[in-house]
Amino acid sequence: MPIPTLAEKLEWLKPAPPTEYEQQCAAKIPQGDYEIGVQITNDILDESMEVFVRASRSYFGVSGDSMVAIFTANGDLINGACGTYLHAIIQPIIIKFIKKYYAENPGIRDGDIWYTNDALYGGIHNPDQVAIMPVFYKGQLLAWTTAALHTTETGATEPGGMPVSAKSRFEEGLNLPPIKIGENFEIKNDFLEMYCAYGMRAPAMFVSDLRARCTTADRARVRVLELAEKRGPEFVVGLLRKMSDTAEAGARKKIRALPDGVFRAITFNDAMGWTPALVRSCFLTVTKRGERLVFDFHGTSPETPSSYNVHPQAVVGHVANFMYEYMFHDLPISSSTFAPIDFIFPEGSLVYPGKTAATSCCVYIGMQARNATQSAFAKMVFSNGALWHQVAAPPGSQHTSQICAGVSQWNLSVSDVLSFMLNTMGQGGRAGDDGMDSYGFAWCAFGRAPDSEQVESELPITITLSQHWKDSSGPGLHRGGSGATQHWVVHKVPGCVSMCMGNGSKVPLGQPLFGGYASSPIPGISIRQADLLKEMAEGDPNLTLDFRSIVEKGSIHGQWSYELIARGPKPYAEGDVLFGFSGGGPGYGDPLERDPALVLEDLRKQIISDWTAQNIYRIAYDPERRKLDAEKTKEQRDQERRARLARGKPYAEFEKAWSAQKPPEEILQWYGSWPDARPLGPVVR
Amino acid sequence: MSAETERIRITEYLDLDLRKETWICNRCERVLGPARENYKKGCLVYDRDPREIHQPLVSAAFNFSPDPVWVRIVECYCPGCGTQIETEYLPPGHPFTHDIELDLDGLKERLRKGEYVIRNRRLEAAE
Repeated sequence: MPIPTLAEKLEWLKPAPPTEYEQQCAAKIPQGDYEIGVQITNDILDESMEVFVRASRSYFGVSGDSMVAIFTANGDLINGACGTYLHAIIQPIIIKFIKKYYAENPGIRDGDIWYTNDALYGGIHNPDQVAIMPVFYKGQLLAWTTAALHTTETGATEPGGMPVSAKSRFEEGLNLPPIKIGENFEIKNDFLEMYCAYGMRAPAMFVSDLRARCTTADRARVRVLELAEKRGPEFVVGLLRKMSDTAEAGARKKIRALPDGVFRAITFNDAMGWTPALVRSCFLTVTKRGERLVFDFHGTSPETPSSYNVHPQAVVGHVANFMYEYMFHDLPISSSTFAPIDFIFPEGSLVYPGKTAATSCCVYIGMQARNATQSAFAKMVFSNGALWHQVAAPPGSQHTSQICAGVSQWNLSVSDVLSFMLNTMGQGGRAGDDGMDSYGFAWCAFGRAPDSEQVESELPITITLSQHWKDSSGPGLHRGGSGATQHWVVHKVPGCVSMCMGNGSKVPLGQPLFGGYASSPIPGISIRQADLLKEMAEGDPNLTLDFRSIVEKGSIHGQWSYELIARGPKPYAEGDVLFGFSGGGPGYGDPLERDPALVLEDLRKQIISDWTAQNIYRIAYDPERRKLDAEKTKEQRDQERRARLARGKPYAEFEKAWSAQKPPEEILQWYGSWPDARPLGPVVR
Repeated sequence: MSAETERIRITEYLDLDLRKETWICNRCERVLGPARENYKKGCLVYDRDPREIHQPLVSAAFNFSPDPVWVRIVECYCPGCGTQIETEYLPPGHPFTHDIELDLDGLKERLRKGEYVIRNRRLEAAE
């Protein structure tokens, strides 16, 4: 089996050297025409994304958490849409695999539709599926186009496409290595039937999303062909080459401008599937020399017999999410921007597991690599006069990935994620400002929360509140953006099945920056036999739909349950309530330096509580009128600084006592050796 | 070079004095220690129970607060002014992260060659 090796994957992520023909074509493009050409590729991608969002059925698709991209004939990424960058950067692996192994049999022809979702062969995880089309102009292979989207079902052992309990890839349902699923611009019926057999839990969504990917890749293909027809094929080849060269020069310039050195960041994860367990989910060492960056993940915990492992290229994808959002935000989404970047993965770790590993929940580990990258870069970049304002703490990536499966009020089988919680995460505090409240999805900054009424129509729930979650974000000089909460009540059906993926109930996921605090963890909360719908129907005047009041006063009556965020599939009856959360962003800087006027504004917007204003920010004010007492505030803050000096210990003294501690053995079962996280034995699957 | 052109901001609170090769708190000018060492060695350090910052909202095992058995907040203060220079969320006993190891010799060399200039305490690439 020609499963790509790590060396092949890393090599295929790099752009191929230019051919003489490409260089000749590029040399013929005058200034002006080049800029117009670049914008045309952006327009093609924008239009294709619009098609994608309108044609998709799953809530990932409806929310725009997806990607359309254009590649050279060789398979190098040239530009991607405003979407899930992690998908685009690693797809060269798949295209180059197809070119290497399938050029002769079954052959690569005009009208082909290729497809894959297998992380072993170059994907993220198997709910993420991609359609790939070659772009032939009068027999000449000019380019490739792709459309990738996460569909919330794979026919796995649990609904939702990310089986939390999976211990190997054999429990994850559909895992398709790259395969030709269509010829002459038509999807093959025999493939479609086989495919549908994996999507029985939600056939309409499953098949609609497949067709949406193919339609979208084809729309981009058609537009590239129109450009070739109008300007000639040499213009297209030259444009793509020049875009690649320009992007690489831009990336090298940015990297070169940073100080050389070694920068480290570390993250921890608190759950492996449904098992609470502490692991060092990322130990990242970034070495920067001249124009070169090396990411080394040695020190990350060993792989586990859970679905929380991530294949190396998916780690690169998550790193790309940070790089394109912050560092390379003004460069094309291009393979060549990663030409100066190399990666080192320790075999047998969470970030380089064995071939049979389950990786369906890989994103919870991959995101930690993204968060660690952001933390490390903050310390590399802050000294740079042109880039320091791009410094920020990582986003609030802990969230409720709640799956709702069953039969809708229209008697249709459904299985999808309640994606409001995905697309309302808080941004980390920034060097010049607070993080944005509910800025987007840590995996796709452009994602939009779906329309609540559409969700209520299609899924067997009603939504009783959607609001910012007070004290969700990390305090700081520049606080993290607020997360959000949404409550779902099973409605108009006798019941449904729900489960949840995720992490971040015991340990905050993103480290704060420069003296700020992290954001709050999230529990899994449900209320069975709740009286909420009854009270709403009766118009109870004492009914509150304020999240903090509901939780702190227990104002909804029923059987409350507080659990780990990751929960297995369970039946819920009509009227039962489930709580969803998106994490706030970690904070930036010492909270005692925050402008008291901004603290009062946070109180007014209900982003923070009085407790936080008084105990973390240490401001003094009249709680009724919210009027600041500036003198007393200064006094309180000075007092707290003096208290720090009194309680803080010199480093050596502190370390002596600190290093004698160790977490309990029962939570270190998957950590590896303490504290350096080396493997303690093989993983048997 | 003047003192001002030898200072570079490395984080919100940490400056590098390139000539003396020292870390400096830029809020109070306190010298924290040699810049070839981890700046945290020059800080006062405190082990914070995370529940003091992230208030538990309910009395349950999962309560919106980090579990203090799993993770602690290590707070690093400037010994001069008490500014909270850095925080790390670490399992109890886990080694501190040596997060910044600048190549000081390389930095000096690149400045000498004119690849960078220091302006407003920040590095700017020479065009």
